[in-house]
Amino acid sequence: MKSKEALKEELKEAVISYDEEGAKSASQEYADAGYPPLEGIMDGLAAGMQVVGELYEKNEYFVPEVLMCADALYAGLGILRPLVPKTEGTAKSQVVIGSIQGDVHDIGKNLVKMMFDVAGWEVYDLGRDVPLENFVKEQLRTDAEVVAMSAMMTTTMLGMKKVIQMIKEKNPNVMIMLGGAPVTKDVAKLFGADGYAESAGNAVQEGIRMIGRLREFEAAKKAEGGS
Amino acid sequence: MAMSGLERVMRTFKREPVDTMPFFTGMGMVLLPPIKKLGYKFAQVHTSAEKLARSGIESARMFNLDSIVIPYDMCWESEALGNTISLYEDSEDILYPTIPTKNWEELDQVNISQNDIETIMTKGRMPLIPEALKIVKKEAPEKALGCWQLGPFTQCGQTIELDKVLKGVFKQKKKVEEILDKFTDLIIEIGKALQAAGADFITLREPGVAADLLSPRTFKELIMPRLTRILAAWKSPKVLHICGSTDPIIEMMNGCGADALSVDIKNNLQESRKKLGNNVLLFGNFDVFGLPCRAETTVEEAIQGIKTNIDGGVDAVWPGCDLWPDIKEENFIAMEKTIREYGKKPSPALKRLG
Repeated sequence: MKSKEALKEELKEAVISYDEEGAKSASQEYADAGYPPLEGIMDGLAAGMQVVGELYEKNEYFVPEVLMCADALYAGLGILRPLVPKTEGTAKSQVVIGSIQGDVHDIGKNLVKMMFDVAGWEVYDLGRDVPLENFVKEQLRTDAEVVAMSAMMTTTMLGMKKVIQMIKEKNPNVMIMLGGAPVTKDVAKLFGADGYAESAGNAVQEGIRMIGRLREFEAAKKAEGGS
Repeated sequence: MAMSGLERVMRTFKREPVDTMPFFTGMGMVLLPPIKKLGYKFAQVHTSAEKLARSGIESARMFNLDSIVIPYDMCWESEALGNTISLYEDSEDILYPTIPTKNWEELDQVNISQNDIETIMTKGRMPLIPEALKIVKKEAPEKALGCWQLGPFTQCGQTIELDKVLKGVFKQKKKVEEILDKFTDLIIEIGKALQAAGADFITLREPGVAADLLSPRTFKELIMPRLTRILAAWKSPKVLHICGSTDPIIEMMNGCGADALSVDIKNNLQESRKKLGNNVLLFGNFDVFGLPCRAETTVEEAIQGIKTNIDGGVDAVWPGCDLWPDIKEENFIAMEKTIREYGKKPSPALKRLG
């Protein structure tokens, strides 16, 4: 039987080399061995995606490669995530995510969603071309801590500002993430958002940074005696 | 006497001296104040040749743009190939038409026949474009008349989900090449029809291939040959525009055979100018949201932004993307005035009269 470390390395490599079948078989082997699933997700699959983010940053990978790596990650996640005990991970954290009305692009949105899936959040994916008020309704319904919105075009970006205003009026503690080609740091600040990503690739980097933050968040919750 | 917009633009493409910096675009340019003046709703202008023409003419005349560009949305060809568009007629916001669901879910389903290519101008809303171009040509002869086509990769993403196309570059390369060739033929056909209907210049827009999406190597192998084939088939003047990161591919863009290049705000203009030299017509790069639309941008900031754009080495002030319709009128008016006054000095590729 392979060691836990060896299998985690295989998981990581499968993601980096966008090998869906490899990710599936390594995940199954890891699961069959009875190793802790959350560790396999975070130190294997997510660690692989972290390298993918670095390769993207160095212009060695581009969006097609990143998308294929994401497919490999999901292939592994589909096997390992159901095995994570309910008391482990950050299952109680929730995010509402979607592409704003008028925008039918969802690559960046799906990459950020992947990071929340990795971290074990409850993801309420509203899809794309989402009417503005639906973000507000869903946040209120779920009491999600984070609302993440994506717009690929300047022409749809302004809708985000309205959503932020509507949400913050009702619940000022909600963290808002914006993403998409026209969204700059200045725009995010101006609209009152808490984070932003300007491209699909940048969304990966931002997502990877978020994993770090989520880990800190989880550690803080544990320190407070939460789940 | 000041040149007309048509004269200024056409002289620009011929590299003949002009009176001052041209202010024009080859992409979406419909603005909200003219639409309101005409009593139109934004969603209505995309389905009527008359409204397309009138809103374009009024937008150019009200703010002294040198060109009128038809059409505005990116769904015409996809709709003509059988997809259904969403016009957002009930929305109070300004939303361009989209294709919410694409009929072809997988690359293997894509089927564009020679007959589709030859009859494309008769399908969907397509007949409205030449009709609108003819109205504009007749009623606004003082303006340069532009039209545009999406490039094959971006157009492909309008008919099948873009992530499938992107992954297909690796997983189904032959299929992607075959599909891109079909779209290339289609785009050539449409461009020729629009030029025959009276367009003075044409812009080939390929935003889906920027260097933050595809590698420069993929651009060179997969995209560049097809852009080159399209541009070679169209008559001049023709502009090549790519949104997003273009610094690593700007020289290859220049090798595609366009008469001018257009980039957006992510391009390092001064570096591009160094790479291209002073003989290449270079447009774009100003912030189409930040300067004319952002509520917090003052008139002084908008003026400064335009001066920075001109000093960066452009040969025409030309938005790096569609103009967002909901402009701050005072900013836009001040921008146009600045362009004409500050732009009296020659630009790298274009001399001034006198």
